[in-house]
Amino acid sequence: MPTERLLRLLQFGDSMLPVGSFTFSNGLESAIARGLVHDLPSLRSFLDTIARQAVGCDGIALLAAHRGALAGDLARVIDCDRALHARKLNVEMRSMSLRMGRKLAELSQRVHPQPLTELWLSEVRAEHTPGLYPVGLALVLAGLGASEEEAFAVHHYGVLSMVLGAALRLMKVSHLETQSLLFELNATVSDDYRSVAGATLEDMAGFAPLLDVLAACHVSSQVRLFMS
Amino acid sequence: MRALAQLPELAPYQDEPRQRPSGSVGKNGFLRLGFERHQERTVLTTMERRVPLLVQQALYWDSEMPGLACVPLITTSGCLLQGDRHTVEVEVGPRAQAHLTTQAATKIHSMDANFAAQTQRFVLSDQAYLEVLPDPVIPHARSRFVSQTVISIAPTATLLYAEILLPGRKHHRAEEMFGYDLFSSTVRAERPSGEEIFTEKLLVEPRKRDVRGVVVMGDFAVFANVLLLTPRAHADRLLEQVPSHVEPGAQRVAGIGRLPGDAGLVYKVLGRETAVVKQGVRSFWALARREVTGAGIPDEFLWR
Repeated sequence: MPTERLLRLLQFGDSMLPVGSFTFSNGLESAIARGLVHDLPSLRSFLDTIARQAVGCDGIALLAAHRGALAGDLARVIDCDRALHARKLNVEMRSMSLRMGRKLAELSQRVHPQPLTELWLSEVRAEHTPGLYPVGLALVLAGLGASEEEAFAVHHYGVLSMVLGAALRLMKVSHLETQSLLFELNATVSDDYRSVAGATLEDMAGFAPLLDVLAACHVSSQVRLFMS
Repeated sequence: MRALAQLPELAPYQDEPRQRPSGSVGKNGFLRLGFERHQERTVLTTMERRVPLLVQQALYWDSEMPGLACVPLITTSGCLLQGDRHTVEVEVGPRAQAHLTTQAATKIHSMDANFAAQTQRFVLSDQAYLEVLPDPVIPHARSRFVSQTVISIAPTATLLYAEILLPGRKHHRAEEMFGYDLFSSTVRAERPSGEEIFTEKLLVEPRKRDVRGVVVMGDFAVFANVLLLTPRAHADRLLEQVPSHVEPGAQRVAGIGRLPGDAGLVYKVLGRETAVVKQGVRSFWALARREVTGAGIPDEFLWR
């Protein structure tokens, strides 16, 4: 991998990237508040589920959008955006993804303008397409020359580091423990990629009912640090 | 919807049963039901059926909604077996009101080959009202089941659709708890123009991936997924009435949220036992029916 591309991937995969990921916990805040996550094994189980949902739904849309972006086909990218939005039944996850998607597109227009991302962003602003994060990320990374597996990995890393960042602030867990967990969970990313590389938008699926119930409670909860 | 042969989760289960081939006579049940409003009553005007699915006639058992056509869907083969391919098509005309249920729980029997599949299509015209409240689904150990449901709904119509999933024959033997191979259920809702409103695909493969994760099923055993497709004004008022609650150690937890595309609400209930989950679904049904039709729900049958 050319060094410059590596650095670009690091930049756009970094949790410092100001797209708002640090304001979301992906459901962890409620899970901790209700006592479902309270130690390292339960955090691990939580992360396993989050990662699984990210692979089986967002990951498939991201790969399809990346392929559309490489073909320069905005209509295909918008199809992915709409299909993913129709499958985001969890309100909190839906609004999180919408905010981050738009922020990312705006940021990339400032840092590294790309015609297709700009077109997509104007469609988002005109409310012709929802503007979800995995789709925006696919566009930006395709524009930076990332392969689809790399784009998939960047997304995966972003999801895990978001939750672990929130975990550090919400529960008794050390930086060393979260780093070990991240290192361990990153080991399966190639297998995860291969498991959905042949999937189509219609195959997007998931199963995490308690996560959905928790999100519904979080929307109406009085005291909260994170937006999800 | 994808053709069954193309579904990736069915790839390992393409072997034919040693009994009669999949989808052959007696294994390809079919129902087509059409409801029309005739003055105060809704009448079952279309009824096509093929074994093992059976419907006899519409009954009017609901004292709270005397014009509501109530239809129990019957299966004469004792539920779903390997190789079964069932199709149910229901059309509800303008202002018609109907209630579909089953006679007993849907047992998906253990399998050593192939899978069972069910395809459903619900079409609701302007101001139609349909309740689909079947008994729970019980996937026995080593069963594989795929359900594909398409809902075509006019913006002024209402559909209440509830699915209750048990972990298996809970008290039969230990390996029955989440011992099934596959439960895959897709619901796609669209407007009459064909425009997609939302799609939910639940894919559960307990032998491949533990369903007892802390935010999957956790300590709970029974899961109900309730979809209420209804105009925005009803959804807004219901959202204020239906509480979301997760208390540590509770017998039941539940959460409500808005569906994408302003399609209505999705209500998820988890419980340790079937009865408390059914009760949760029933309470939601009562609120939804009151909001949409102004009527109450009938008392429970003595034998349920």
